[in-house]
Amino acid sequence: MTENDSPRIGFACAYTPLPLIRAAGFIPYRILPIGDWPDQAGQMLHDNLCPHVKRILDRAMADDLPDLAGMVFVNSCDAMRRMMDAWKQIRPKDKTVMIDLPATAEPLSIDFLAGEFRRLVEVLSQWSGYDILADRIKSSMEQYDLLASRLRNLHNMNQRGMLSGGSGRMQAIYNQAATQQVEALIADLDRLISELTAAQPMKEAVPVFMFGNILPDPAAFDLIESCGARVAGDDFCTGARLFGAYETQVAIKNDAEDVFHDLARRVLTRPPCARTFDPAAPMRIAEDVVDLALACNAKGVIGHTVKFCDPYLARVPVVREALTAAGLPFLMLEGDCTLRSMEQQRTRIEAFIEMLC
Amino acid sequence: MMKQYFDDMVAGIARKINDDPESRSPRKVYALEVARLGSRLYSGDGGVAWCGVTAPFDLLNAMGVTSCFVEFIGAMLAATGMADAYIDEAAHAGYAGDTCTYHRGVIGAMRMGLMPEPDFLIATSVPCTGGLAVMETIARHFKKDLFVLNVPQRETDESVKYLADQIRAMVSFVEDHTGRSLDQEKLQQAIDHTNEARALCEEAYFLARAVPSPADGRILSNFGVVMALLMGTSAGVEVARTYRDRFKEMVDSGQGGIADEKLRLLWIQNRIQFKNPLIDILEATFGASVVCEELNDITWDPIDPAAPFESMARRAISIPFNGDVNRRIAHLQKLAREYRIHGAINPCNWGCRQGTGARGLIAEGLKQIGVPVLNLEVDCIDSRNFALGQMQTRLEAFTEMLSG
Ligand code: SF4
Ligand code: SF4
Repeated sequence: MTENDSPRIGFACAYTPLPLIRAAGFIPYRILPIGDWPDQAGQMLHDNLCPHVKRILDRAMADDLPDLAGMVFVNSCDAMRRMMDAWKQIRPKDKTVMIDLPATAEPLSIDFLAGEFRRLVEVLSQWSGYDILADRIKSSMEQYDLLASRLRNLHNMNQRGMLSGGSGRMQAIYNQAATQQVEALIADLDRLISELTAAQPMKEAVPVFMFGNILPDPAAFDLIESCGARVAGDDFCTGARLFGAYETQVAIKNDAEDVFHDLARRVLTRPPCARTFDPAAPMRIAEDVVDLALACNAKGVIGHTVKFCDPYLARVPVVREALTAAGLPFLMLEGDCTLRSMEQQRTRIEAFIEMLC
Repeated sequence: MMKQYFDDMVAGIARKINDDPESRSPRKVYALEVARLGSRLYSGDGGVAWCGVTAPFDLLNAMGVTSCFVEFIGAMLAATGMADAYIDEAAHAGYAGDTCTYHRGVIGAMRMGLMPEPDFLIATSVPCTGGLAVMETIARHFKKDLFVLNVPQRETDESVKYLADQIRAMVSFVEDHTGRSLDQEKLQQAIDHTNEARALCEEAYFLARAVPSPADGRILSNFGVVMALLMGTSAGVEVARTYRDRFKEMVDSGQGGIADEKLRLLWIQNRIQFKNPLIDILEATFGASVVCEELNDITWDPIDPAAPFESMARRAISIPFNGDVNRRIAHLQKLAREYRIHGAINPCNWGCRQGTGARGLIAEGLKQIGVPVLNLEVDCIDSRNFALGQMQTRLEAFTEMLSG
């Protein structure tokens, strides 16, 4: 069996510790809520549950998944817990494990998460049938650090107009990075980067910053850019955030315990989504969004969240206040992980971008 | 305004009990203590902490802090028929209608100055994601310090140690904010009170299982979740004792909570907090009595004085809303068997991802032991979406099916 044939482990949350899955010999495979399947999950879960979770379950119920050696869930929110409950019902034979994820990053929580990662490695070890040694985890982390730096390069090149296809193409690359074998992908990205030498002439477009949770469909970014905007920066769970824990210059330690702690610290302190916060700076997400928007010289901000996402719904009003105070116009979109829901809001997007011109 | 409301409530109940000692029912004693807590929260003196549902209230009581979970405000606004204006205020401020109205009511009350300013806040990650977010919002609004207790999903030695260590850190946080150290004698006293109240509640719940049950659909409404606030106090012991004594009398004399108990129902998760006639209809028309509520149970061991923080950690982890749904289903099945339940009602509070998210799985789990579940589409706080006629029809069909 070649490395490319390695069995896959499914995951759905950007807090999943990908290097541990890879170190166990599996390919982490993000189950993205892209596609058109019959709505079946609604029979098990209430109408008011996050469409990200429901679409993933619809995919599973439609059997539109590669072979999976197991599923790693993360306790990132109520909806994610309910997803694991439902998953066990619809695919009772699947091996599953849930990692408990603290909402804050003080030392006690980092210690606890390190313990959770140790437990995950034990579980993965049982699933794969061999011991997962510290040096293997370390080299897997190094691979993800490399991947993150390649993605950062590409992101910067896209901002300089060097990536034809723009942000939609960049999103397609993030999707590849979330589903493909890391080592092979690094080689592909190196090739791509070496080919992208000359900056393309930049189209006249209004720079906007986008943030939110789940927006994996490249066509959604194409849609925004087709309305006259350029996505000058973005912060999504389905984008750079998945690799944020690996964008670090800190050398990886050798000892297994240190590796777990290092990874736990990286994961809990990486640029957060709304479900993780610093109690010492409540709702700092608002200032973070403003800072990121200003850093990329955006003229306006577009938020996009899937419906029924408590972590975001509860924080968007404060983000709106902070953006208003900073003089940054804000458009908030809600979707259900289908392009259809984005298309329905095209007129609002066009009007917003026109207003920024 | 609210201080006056609670003060009047305290005075009114105390007067009634004083004038007619015979009228001293468990529910009155309970309501008196809840009103006293409300009055303290709004009095503005002493330390006040807004908390999450699974905070160790007995420990906070031992430290002289008036503490309460924020959802209490949402429920209180609904019970007094005032919630609408505050929910609307939250909507005007951009809080989406798809989130839990307990929390939107709280946000509205905070923005309109109806929420007492806390000295500090203690959030808990259980039971729900929305609960953490509202605490973060309140901390920012009042510019007060926030402490977070991350309650793990599973009970293991590591997870108990993690939460116990956080509780220890919480004690230091509270000491820093109140300027008072945790007094070991007061802690011991609080533990004694908690353990006594716990044992009395356990007895009361055991008695409530009798056929006919001494409980009707109102007497234990919201009881388990609110009793957590009174833990560690002599008032909590008194409330629990009153329930135990009254239930014992009733069971000994074969008296039921309702006149002719035909059907015994289990209420899942939230009560509908605004005034509504569903319980009356169930009892009067169908002889159906809600004899049990999901959180009216003791799921934890007595607090061990030698390791109190570990015990409190285990208690927080043990709440049935924590962990995966199978754990919750097993608990509901246990209650259904113990109380000889015929059917269950799940109000599926709109906006509660934690609870309603799993309603299909819960219904399936109870069906496996022969207990049908009626899922209602309702918002437990916002009365404006309440369609009585429709509910009545569904209750009728459900009870007919159970009787058949
Ligand atoms: S989108 Fe929001 S609700 Fe859905 S899984 Fe992510 S954090 Fe949870
Ligand atoms: S109803 Fe649900 S979302 Fe609302 S406070 Fe209770 S557990 Fe949280």
